[in-house]
Amino acid sequence: MLRNILWESLLVVLAGSVFALAANEISPRGLSLTRNYFPAAAGANPAVVRESPASSTNQSPAEMLVSEIKTRGLQLAVSNQVVAWFKDPRRQTQKLIFIDARNAEEYQAGHVPGAWLFDPYHPDQYFAAILPVCQAAEQIVVYCHGGDCDDSLTAAGLLQDVGIPGSKIYIYGGGMNEWPATGLPLETGAQNSGQFLKATP
Amino acid sequence: MTSPRTFSRATWRPTAGILARWVLGATYLYTGCHKALHPVDFLKLLRQYELFHSAPALDTIAALLPWFEVACGLLLVAGVAVRGTALVSLLMLVPFTTAVFHRALALKSALALPLCAVKFDCGCGTGEEFVCHKLLENFLLMGLSCWLLAGAGRKESLRYALKEDASQFL
Repeated sequence: MLRNILWESLLVVLAGSVFALAANEISPRGLSLTRNYFPAAAGANPAVVRESPASSTNQSPAEMLVSEIKTRGLQLAVSNQVVAWFKDPRRQTQKLIFIDARNAEEYQAGHVPGAWLFDPYHPDQYFAAILPVCQAAEQIVVYCHGGDCDDSLTAAGLLQDVGIPGSKIYIYGGGMNEWPATGLPLETGAQNSGQFLKATP
Repeated sequence: MTSPRTFSRATWRPTAGILARWVLGATYLYTGCHKALHPVDFLKLLRQYELFHSAPALDTIAALLPWFEVACGLLLVAGVAVRGTALVSLLMLVPFTTAVFHRALALKSALALPLCAVKFDCGCGTGEEFVCHKLLENFLLMGLSCWLLAGAGRKESLRYALKEDASQFL
């Protein structure tokens, strides 16, 4: 009887694995099995909480993110810089661009007006659109949610991997959690949709 | 005529077995579908456990585990390979519950909170939950898996229905 159960469970594992492989392949949200989704943060995972802080780096997730930004040769942008850049006339000529490193759903719900969507977990869908813009831009501001979110760092890492110099990439650490407090509007829907939400600090 | 005791034993156990199978199956279907619809969120949560240090291992688990759970849920609800699926369910629940407990201990220590006040999204497909609730829930699921493994839940099971239909023609 035990042998039967073991055989049955082995069959379940095999059938379940085949089903899972096929479903992941068919699903439009499926993950690649061979891609490193976190190339930028190979040395640090800001979201990890360690049992004994004394044995680790003694850094908060935000501090770990800042040190990772520096290690990668990127720059950290703070709120007042971002506000100034948003009002910079270079933004109109795409010499200064904002990149939203969240997913399409979150982007549609509200993003920095005119920002380009670049979901770092599905980069192939966005590279064709954003790569020429990034190459032409003098300054690129990448953001995600803020706090311990490192998707902006992941997106910046992918841009560096395709030859965009880190010296012109700025990570807006406060991200979308902080943006409403700047008093600047939020754009909803597609890029340049013209639909805005009033800032609610 | 059957005595009330015999009657209750004869009817209660198979009915409870079916319910156990459906509850466990429905749980796997719900959590599996939730994770399969948001695989990136699951990938990020899984990464926080620091269990897999190679990217392909992490990707494979994050991509396949949700659909594997859906498959287990379907098998349990339909009643195919119930004992085999119950064993697989146990083999998934034991290490995962251990990992959740270890992460809860890490958070307890880092946040200086009592264990049961620790609340986090464990990547179980049910969002943020207090860890004691989650552990209790997992122990109940493990209990159901053990019971099904012992042979409960065969009534109304597709495999046995098919077997009986086939035997009529032989």
